[in-house]
Amino acid sequence: MNIKYKLLSFALLALAPGLLKAQVAPEIQLGARGVMSFNVGRTLQETTSAVNDFSDTGILLGFRQKMYNRFRGQLVIGMQFPDADSDLGQVFFHQTFLKIEDKSNILKMGRSRVRSALIEFPTLRDDDALYFTDVLNPFSSGENTEDNQYGNVFEAAHIFGQRTWLRIHGEHFTETPKPPATTETDFSLNAAGFSLQYRVPETQIWNRPFLQQLGVGFNNFLTNRSGYGSQWDQALKNLSLSTILNLKRDPVHFWDFRAQGIYNFGFKEVDQIDDFTSMTRTRSLSAFASLRYIYRKLERPSWQAAMSFGYKTFPDLLTTSNQVKSVANVFYRLGENFDIGAQVQYAQNKGELKNLLGKHEIRFQFALIYAIDRRWNNQFDDRESLLNLEHGYIR
Amino acid sequence: MNRRDFFKAGAVVSSIALAPQTLLAQETKASNQKRLPSVLNPQMDGDVKVFELFVDIYGQELVPGFTLHTLAFNNQVPGPEIRVNQGDKVRVIFKNKTELNHTIHWHGLHVPWRMDGVPYVNQMPVMQGQQFVYEFVAEPYGTHFYHCHWGTLLHMQSGMYGSLIVENPDDPVQKQFPYEREYTLLYSAHDVNFIRNELNSMLERMKERTYLMKNGRFNKERFAVFDSKEELVKAVKNGYQPPYVVNRRAPAELPEPNWFTVNGKSYPSTPNLYIRENENIRVRLINGGTEEHYLHLHGHDFWQVCDDGLPLPQPWQMNALRLSPGKTLDIIIEGKNRGIWTFHDHDIRKVTNNGLYPGGNLLALVYEDMPAEEADPGMMAKKMGLTSFPIVALDE
Ligand SMILES: [Cu+2]
Repeated sequence: MNIKYKLLSFALLALAPGLLKAQVAPEIQLGARGVMSFNVGRTLQETTSAVNDFSDTGILLGFRQKMYNRFRGQLVIGMQFPDADSDLGQVFFHQTFLKIEDKSNILKMGRSRVRSALIEFPTLRDDDALYFTDVLNPFSSGENTEDNQYGNVFEAAHIFGQRTWLRIHGEHFTETPKPPATTETDFSLNAAGFSLQYRVPETQIWNRPFLQQLGVGFNNFLTNRSGYGSQWDQALKNLSLSTILNLKRDPVHFWDFRAQGIYNFGFKEVDQIDDFTSMTRTRSLSAFASLRYIYRKLERPSWQAAMSFGYKTFPDLLTTSNQVKSVANVFYRLGENFDIGAQVQYAQNKGELKNLLGKHEIRFQFALIYAIDRRWNNQFDDRESLLNLEHGYIR
Repeated sequence: MNRRDFFKAGAVVSSIALAPQTLLAQETKASNQKRLPSVLNPQMDGDVKVFELFVDIYGQELVPGFTLHTLAFNNQVPGPEIRVNQGDKVRVIFKNKTELNHTIHWHGLHVPWRMDGVPYVNQMPVMQGQQFVYEFVAEPYGTHFYHCHWGTLLHMQSGMYGSLIVENPDDPVQKQFPYEREYTLLYSAHDVNFIRNELNSMLERMKERTYLMKNGRFNKERFAVFDSKEELVKAVKNGYQPPYVVNRRAPAELPEPNWFTVNGKSYPSTPNLYIRENENIRVRLINGGTEEHYLHLHGHDFWQVCDDGLPLPQPWQMNALRLSPGKTLDIIIEGKNRGIWTFHDHDIRKVTNNGLYPGGNLLALVYEDMPAEEADPGMMAKKMGLTSFPIVALDE
């Protein structure tokens, strides 16, 4: 038995009597999402299809209770079906974290979504436009898109007032093992950053102003850049800016616009792209924007249509290289939280990206989506409930 | 913390509240006044008594350490007591400071039918920022109450109820049982999780509706309000999904109260009834909640003198009575047995706070003229052969 396990079993022994006497029944949260799509992809060379792509399908289980003081504690465990071509296996535990929070402070530890993006976009899957919407992981081989989205996170947040969020986060992003190694052995901190965001809580959807979100984020990846001694020079830096604007705040015909730009400061010695790693380490500027319309009937969404465009350029490369992407989709609500949808994506890569990702691709997707979020034994209110926001916070 | 210390700490909220030295302390008696409904003072407009009521969302502390968001008249749960004389002309100016709809129903009063407060039957709901003026003549005399009649299941247990006492100079009760002091106790039961979740979702829905209404886009289906039954039947035939069907919003569970209050407080914050030897006190009992309460007084038989405000032809003696939802019952307690006596719900499930006994509907009848040596806390200890006052947690 190594020392780690000794400590663990000691900790379990110490906790056992406490567990047996525990009298507080926690709040139980269950989230589940199924995303099934039939895909057809066309490139210059070939047409491919997938009868059933169920990546992003997953389940989340949460437990929450009040602490003795003003804090609330939460455990979340979640698993997801990763992309079929990933090497993550059948099931990937994308969320496994503990969180404590009070009215204006949050501390979170564990595996979770990394802060690689300031906002989310209306695409069928989270990673449909990943190369545009997220700061990319320079330690990954690019095999798994999950490497860019999930990591081991330590995050502290403070909320000023009700709408201004300062987050400081340190992560271990997945490092693709170098053969002959097959698994990761080092889980040390390899990224750190912060973000400052103004955002209007979702519950205030019908009294929110034109400006829904405004954010700035700074991400640093702590690499072993050769030829540089200081941590600052070795860090791969990314700066992100984002906004969401409620163009028309009408409960029946709702329009919003969102955009995010990411500037990757890059390493100036990386002047060609051979693989995913070099793509993430050369200087780049990407922008992604969406325009969305929601038609609501009887106080719930009835259908939604969205158009998104992305552009990314790599100025330090020897040959002119850029990427464009457009995504159009429409979702129709069949029942509470059950949608049918169709999406078409077009991607074009120029210069050195062409070799890595292909010249262009058009992809059609037809999908069914079902998402639930249910709580049992609910005993206390959320920070962003209307009662707590507008009628005095009850801790 | 060792077990003994733990008992001591726990006892602060459990046994001490009904200990003699606590109950007879001057501060306790003074604070007891705050646990009885405050009487609302009218302005006179000619011969009309004008009362002002508003409703707002208010954080009500049921017991130390537990506060919830309520819908409260004049920031009080229950609302202030309206006291008038039989035959008085009454005007109540009701202002809605919330984003939800409300009305006021005058329970037990013979008001003109347009003043009865049932939405879409007697009046339109009083919407955000609006006010409605209720006018009626106070009839008949007796113990009555008022409550909101919009979203009644939620709004009443959220705090919208208050006492309305119509006095009669020739009160037969006073003649039969002369009394100087009287107490009003309003009972209610609350599913605090239902209140919180429904208030939140109702607030969110009403924000959306208000936005549309301001633009003159009132939509019958959206508001689930139709001009006629035929119109509803037709809408359902054409695919309209009413809110109660399972594929829309029905919560599938009825609220299950887990907090029980007397005058908006749970034990140990409940009010007490102070009495002196050979004194009669009148207690007006009002059930503004959804549960039945079986109220039992130790050491006495009291007289039930009124039912729904109406004097009984023949007062009855009893020591346990059933207070059903919507009922008001008046009792006379005669100070005939000196001591400290509990007066509690004998459905003991309602003597709980969030499932833990003791709590809820528990209070005491206290003889305030008890000799000091009788109230000496050491007495209980001496009887048990102990030298000091034992502290016993009531939940053990
Ligand atoms: Cu109301």
